[in-house]
Amino acid sequence: MSVLTETAGLQMPRAKSSHRKGRTLENLIRLFFGGNAFVAVVVLVLITLFLIREGFGFFGGNLQNLRVYRAAGLEYVDIMRTQVEAHAALSRALSDVRVRETRKLAEQGRSVEEINSALAAFDQFATSFSDAGNNLAGLVSDLGDQAIALKEKAALGEPADLAALRSSYPAYEQISAATAAEINALLANPPQLSTPEAQRSFEKVKARMRASVAAFPAKAQCLREWDPGRPVHWYESITSFLFGKEWITASFWQDWYGVIPLLAGSVMVSVVALTLAVPFGVASAVYISEIATRPEQNLIKPYIEFIAAIPSVVLGFFGIAVLGQAIRAASELPFMSWVPFFPLSERLNVFTAGALLALMAVPTIFTLSEDALRNVPRAFKEASYALGANRLQTIARVIVPASLSGIVSAILLGLGRVIGETMVVLLCAGNRIAIPDFTEGLGAFFQPVHTMTGIIAQEMGEVVQGSIHYRALFMVGLVLFTLTLLINLAAQKISARYRMSVG
Amino acid sequence: MNDEARMSNVETMTKHEAASSLSFVIRHSSFRRRSRLREQALFWLFRLATYLILAAASYIFLDIGIKGSRVLFTKKPPFVNLEFLSQAPETLYVFDYQGKKMTLGDREFREWKTTHEINDAEVTSVAYSAGGIWPCIVGTALLVIGSMALALFIGVSSAIYLSEYSRNGRMVRLVRTAILNLAGVPSIVFGLFGFGLVVIFFGWNVSLLAGWFTLGLMVLPAIITASEESLRAVPQGLREGSLALGATRWQTIRKNVLPYALPGILTSSILGIARVAGETAPIMFTAAYATRDTMPWQVSRFSDFFFQGVMALPYHIYVVSSKIPQNDYTARVQYGAAFVFLLLVMLIALGSILLRTRLRARLQW
Amino acid sequence: MVTTMPEAPFHQPHAPGPSSPAPKKDPESIAIENLDFAYGDHRVLHGIDLDIAPRSVTALIGPSGCGKTTLLRCINRMNDLIDGARITRGAIRLGGIDINTPEIDVVDLRRRVGMVFQKSNPFPKSIYDNIAYGLRVAGVTKRGAINEAVEKSLRAAALWEETKDRLEKSALSLSGGQQQRLCIARALAVQPHVILMDEPCSALDPIATARIEELIQQLKRDYTIVIVTHNMQQAGRCSDQTAFFYLGRLIEYATTAKIFSNPSQRQTEDYITGRFG
Repeated sequence: MSVLTETAGLQMPRAKSSHRKGRTLENLIRLFFGGNAFVAVVVLVLITLFLIREGFGFFGGNLQNLRVYRAAGLEYVDIMRTQVEAHAALSRALSDVRVRETRKLAEQGRSVEEINSALAAFDQFATSFSDAGNNLAGLVSDLGDQAIALKEKAALGEPADLAALRSSYPAYEQISAATAAEINALLANPPQLSTPEAQRSFEKVKARMRASVAAFPAKAQCLREWDPGRPVHWYESITSFLFGKEWITASFWQDWYGVIPLLAGSVMVSVVALTLAVPFGVASAVYISEIATRPEQNLIKPYIEFIAAIPSVVLGFFGIAVLGQAIRAASELPFMSWVPFFPLSERLNVFTAGALLALMAVPTIFTLSEDALRNVPRAFKEASYALGANRLQTIARVIVPASLSGIVSAILLGLGRVIGETMVVLLCAGNRIAIPDFTEGLGAFFQPVHTMTGIIAQEMGEVVQGSIHYRALFMVGLVLFTLTLLINLAAQKISARYRMSVG
Repeated sequence: MNDEARMSNVETMTKHEAASSLSFVIRHSSFRRRSRLREQALFWLFRLATYLILAAASYIFLDIGIKGSRVLFTKKPPFVNLEFLSQAPETLYVFDYQGKKMTLGDREFREWKTTHEINDAEVTSVAYSAGGIWPCIVGTALLVIGSMALALFIGVSSAIYLSEYSRNGRMVRLVRTAILNLAGVPSIVFGLFGFGLVVIFFGWNVSLLAGWFTLGLMVLPAIITASEESLRAVPQGLREGSLALGATRWQTIRKNVLPYALPGILTSSILGIARVAGETAPIMFTAAYATRDTMPWQVSRFSDFFFQGVMALPYHIYVVSSKIPQNDYTARVQYGAAFVFLLLVMLIALGSILLRTRLRARLQW
Repeated sequence: MVTTMPEAPFHQPHAPGPSSPAPKKDPESIAIENLDFAYGDHRVLHGIDLDIAPRSVTALIGPSGCGKTTLLRCINRMNDLIDGARITRGAIRLGGIDINTPEIDVVDLRRRVGMVFQKSNPFPKSIYDNIAYGLRVAGVTKRGAINEAVEKSLRAAALWEETKDRLEKSALSLSGGQQQRLCIARALAVQPHVILMDEPCSALDPIATARIEELIQQLKRDYTIVIVTHNMQQAGRCSDQTAFFYLGRLIEYATTAKIFSNPSQRQTEDYITGRFG
């Protein structure tokens, strides 16, 4: 045996210096790998910093924007404009009433001529009402031009002289009084409609008209009390972003950067997606882990994972080319007419995007839920079976409760994926920047919306770098980032607790 | 329901009613039948839900597959529409000429105009709808190669640190939290970040380099997670055996851990390729152009290669499905591009899934 | 054998001065002095004092969780790999030198203290490469020297006859017993002074076990062997000294003959006669 060590060639190199060199080399290698691992931290910090750096400049710019809005008298004109818009809305409501009446009469077999003559009085009423608003609309239009000129001056740093603008007040008061008188005269002698349904909605419109006239003095008071010198507080820049209901950019009048319509769009699309994806994802996870046969498992599991690999832009294309069309066609089918908001006018809407996103969320929810279900200790199941429970009882009372936190965290991660998805919503959500009309109930889910991800993708390429708009988009990105981060953290918290409870 | 009422339900038990105090818990046979029926009904519901998912996905595959193969495949040899795969996108011109409907691509049309008279007002032009998608394929390939190289380098190194060097300390927890959260960051936010940092702050403009950076960082968490899983699958005994023989950490990793983890790392990374190739949002304003006349290699200086934007397949699909109308003339490029892209990504994903199943079966230590 | 060693057993930056605690000892001797060891807050070894004689077989026995494997892994500092594991008091001296001082290169230490694991862990490489591994990582590149060492190590581990025709085959193609002997051969190839064996036969059938025990008897002529075993008969058959551990304490340490015939402690007797554990 001792021959082993006699092998001359086996003297191992062990000089002192080589030791030290070896050890520093090892430390360097360790440092290299550690540094790479730290990249993830650095990137996350950099993302946060950059969104903040580019985004926070928004508030200053937006504050300036709001100050000019007040100083140049745009706000003053907008107070009058609301009155003009309310008038226009009532005109539209009248024409809706007319449509309703026409449809009913047509159902009764009347000819077009007959209908038109029956509605002659109503048409007279509607036209008079519409005309009653023209004077005010003209005034607002004139004042608007003045305000824009003032705004341009203010942008150059010159103080805006609002005297001319405010001297229009007597004219406003006069026009307003005349309009009120005209409307009151119209309301004193309204036409009668023949069908009770139309009459009922006409009554409603008349009530709105009266309310609108009654609100005139309040408007006038608003105008009298309006003070261009009232300070715009710094926080209004933030609140007007976080709670602003309008996102209007590149407008000749006034830009508004309110995140609410975008947030509403993102949330509504996610609601639709999860409403579809959660039952399907969880049901299929339960099916695959507890009910399905082996060959089924071996086939379906990879297939659902495979779905996760469909590029979102292809799904979006499918939505535009096929699904949107199909949903609208389905809504036009006669036997679907009982749904109040059918047929749909837009093929690209919340539902189209949500349905496609559901397909993207299903693999996430399925895979993670299935893992959670599979990790339920065998002993739990066996104990349940041994007590005489059948499979359904075991699933419902033992397996699902035991893996509930895993399933919930799977759903949250699915939500994170859905809310951060861009291409599908950009292509299929309809891209109308407005808060959907919730008075339509569920119909709101069939209206087009714009989303936070969509707006960034759509507008980022076209904005001037460093402008308020550019910074506003970074702020939207920051909101999105914060939202997904919170969802993610919640999912991690829940799944950490889950590991404890089972492990 | 009190016990008495329950007992009266137990028809088969009447004889032994008093015999056993347990008899009340044993359910009526019709109850059992009902519960079995309910069980079956619910199981069918679950089955239905599962198969509906498969059906929905299959419908998408089939729709794009069938309509797309009409573009990609031809009846005559070589059976593949090489023109579509090898040419750049062109504008399509549609017009009537002497009672005949003509559809010509941009180059053909200009050639044709030299010999024919046509009033330009009568010609409808449809952007992108003629030619093919070759530059988009090339651009996507370049983006994938660069960003995967970056992500693999950083990702595998990180995974080595996490699995081989790190102790459970605050630093490591921080790194792990960062990776988990980075995985949840929406791709559009990566796009914003790449745009703000690389395109503007570094001044690299819309370029391949900016795209590599953005996509590489986006896919990094997935690569780290997959690599760490593969590294941890290498049995501890191999490390201990090597260290006990006087090997250093790095020697152990290089000779006795990495070689056995590498197949797993690469297989899982293929799924990363599918993700990198499939994402549109991060490259929209960092690397992709809607049209570009030259191919990426047609650059005057070598360094220009890295600082040029490219056409990319997913971005092209976005452009052709949102910026041009849906009609018979545009369907060719829309379905063709979507099908080619879907086919590529699906083949990559399929390869990854198959390889992984095989590897898992083989790697039982 | 000692005289053939080219240098001091392992790198020692400061020459032992007059205050050096122990005089120069046999480099194959192991002295464990008042050793406390803990995993985090959980103490697993309490004041172990153990002098292991050179060129003999020392068996560590005791019920599961008594700390015998932990002690074994302290001797070549394999516990460094475990989070929060540390020696809280005392020292282990190899040839008189404390192995836990920062000056000691752990890589060098492990070359001097080989280890055979409970679960045989041949690398998924060829038989030849398995043996050559330790030499290559130590920087030996001469093909001839490696060839020679491979043959000698395999002969020493009584595996040469079985494997000489298939050195290029995967080590995983060997049987369980052969794999474990390959691991012993692999440890021998780097010329250690000490070989630690952690239940080397626990996964083997009786015939393979017998061959390993036979091998241990041959090896003890040249190496200090410390073996952890659960198997009383094995400890009785192949060790010279036996140390009995219980709940992290060394209960009794004596020659194997004495421990098995006339233990001085009640707990030792109970354990050996199978009343617990």
